[in-house]
Amino acid sequence: MTGERADHAGPTRAAAPRGGSRAERVFSFAVAVAALVGLSSTIIWAAAGFGYYWPCWIWLGCAGAIAVIAIWLHFRSLPQGWRRWLVGQTDLSVAVGLYLLAIWLFTGTHGFWPLWPLSSLAQALVLHVLIFYRDRLPLLRGRRLRARIDTLTRTRRGAVDVQAAALRQIERDLHDGAQARLVALSMQLGRAEVRLADRPEEAALVRAARQEASAAIAELRDLARGIAPPVLADRGLEAAVRSLAERSPRAVTVNAERQPQRLAPAVEGAAYFVVAEALTNVAKHAPRASAKVTIAQRGDRLLIDVTDNGEGGADPAVGSGLHGLQARVEALDGTLTVISPAGGPTVIHAELPCES
Amino acid sequence: MRVVIVEDQALLREGITALLREAGIDVVAQAEDGPGLLRIVAGHKPELAIVDVRLPPTFTDEGIRAAIEARRRQPGLAILVLSQYVEPVYSAELLDSGESGVGYLLKERVGDVTGFLEAIERVAGGGTAIDREVVTELVRARTPRAAQSGLDALTPREHEVLALIAEGRTNAAIARELVITVGAVEKHISSIFAKLDLPASDDDHRRVLAVLAYLGASG
Repeated sequence: MTGERADHAGPTRAAAPRGGSRAERVFSFAVAVAALVGLSSTIIWAAAGFGYYWPCWIWLGCAGAIAVIAIWLHFRSLPQGWRRWLVGQTDLSVAVGLYLLAIWLFTGTHGFWPLWPLSSLAQALVLHVLIFYRDRLPLLRGRRLRARIDTLTRTRRGAVDVQAAALRQIERDLHDGAQARLVALSMQLGRAEVRLADRPEEAALVRAARQEASAAIAELRDLARGIAPPVLADRGLEAAVRSLAERSPRAVTVNAERQPQRLAPAVEGAAYFVVAEALTNVAKHAPRASAKVTIAQRGDRLLIDVTDNGEGGADPAVGSGLHGLQARVEALDGTLTVISPAGGPTVIHAELPCES
Repeated sequence: MRVVIVEDQALLREGITALLREAGIDVVAQAEDGPGLLRIVAGHKPELAIVDVRLPPTFTDEGIRAAIEARRRQPGLAILVLSQYVEPVYSAELLDSGESGVGYLLKERVGDVTGFLEAIERVAGGGTAIDREVVTELVRARTPRAAQSGLDALTPREHEVLALIAEGRTNAAIARELVITVGAVEKHISSIFAKLDLPASDDDHRRVLAVLAYLGASG
């Protein structure tokens, strides 16, 4: 019985990875020796006139030796890690169990005594399996999932904050670097232009160069405003929203509760761009509308409402503006709701968590 | 004219100083931050302070705050704020901060040397020089619908001329800016007056009315 199992499981597995051929040779040799010993003892038993089949003990001894070799080879062929030990224990438990059963059979099946060692082996194996697969246990799984959600929430928030800080840094670097150099360039071109007053053609060339520099500065300025509006970094959300209202071609009233303290840059940024996008939409799609912006803080939630009395019919699914905002707000565990029935009014409501 | 400059970036500070000295304007002192401005204003009693908005240590709107404070301490000090971006919010704060001359310009306007020197003269003389970018945004935002119809009739060129009038420019300055003759500017202006339906009285009065219509008589 044991020999049979070793024949099937051992060599095929052991032959697979490193040192396969040598392991296979060792195993084949062991099997050959076992077969020789077993057969010769059987012949001697037959020559001695049959009787009690004592060579069964010889077979059993050989099978045990082969099983040990097979288990060792199998163990060696498995990749490093905990799983290897679990499989090793399983192999060993099965082999020992079968060995005990064989002894029980050969000794005349008096009372099923292998029950006790077998149940010990089984308990040890079950315990190991439980430890190995503990992540899939419902109780522990819930706890681990909660811990994972906590980690993800924290790291995502960290990533969003890092991103907001990085954007402000980019704005500052542009301001102190490329923009400042272009301004210095434009000044020098201006001075050259003055000195070329008596040579109009050259002066015109220099003037054209200066205007190019100015255009580059203007583009950089728009870019910087798009990524991190300076007034938002300087004065905070309320001032930045009032600035947006001032710039809007529509009549916009701002009703903002004064914030007791500055919000996190990521929250300020998201709130600002919600209002900016909403007001841009009003300017674009509602030529006769006026808008109202309300900013309030309720507990640890920042509430932003932009209402306009236009024709309504805004759909976040159409156009990437509102959709992109939704992603931005949701990345902060906030919500963005757009209520815009045909005929208006349109209400854009955003809630953002903010610690205060 | 006694001028002080507050700018933390050496490249720009030296650039502006060189440009003013070439034009014969006396730069009596330089500083790099807000407290520096207050110190040199107290020490040198300048007529005009040219101030950058972003200054150490916070690099936000220190310049605006320092300029307003300097003005409070020395009434009559003319302030010209330079910035790489313009905010209507800041221009309003500057205009509200006192009676004397106020300017708020983008830094790149310094490259237009003639225009920049004119702006300095105007501000030092108690006038205003608000960047056309601010003016345009305020105009776009403030124009009420009634005046809009008249303004809609203006050609793009007439819009440019009117924006320059709103900045406080003279006809000669407008002509230079747009690279046209003074005669052409006058023609544009009379066309603007006609389209805005402004009565034929003295020219200055009509200029003011045109600008008021433009700014939507923001009251």
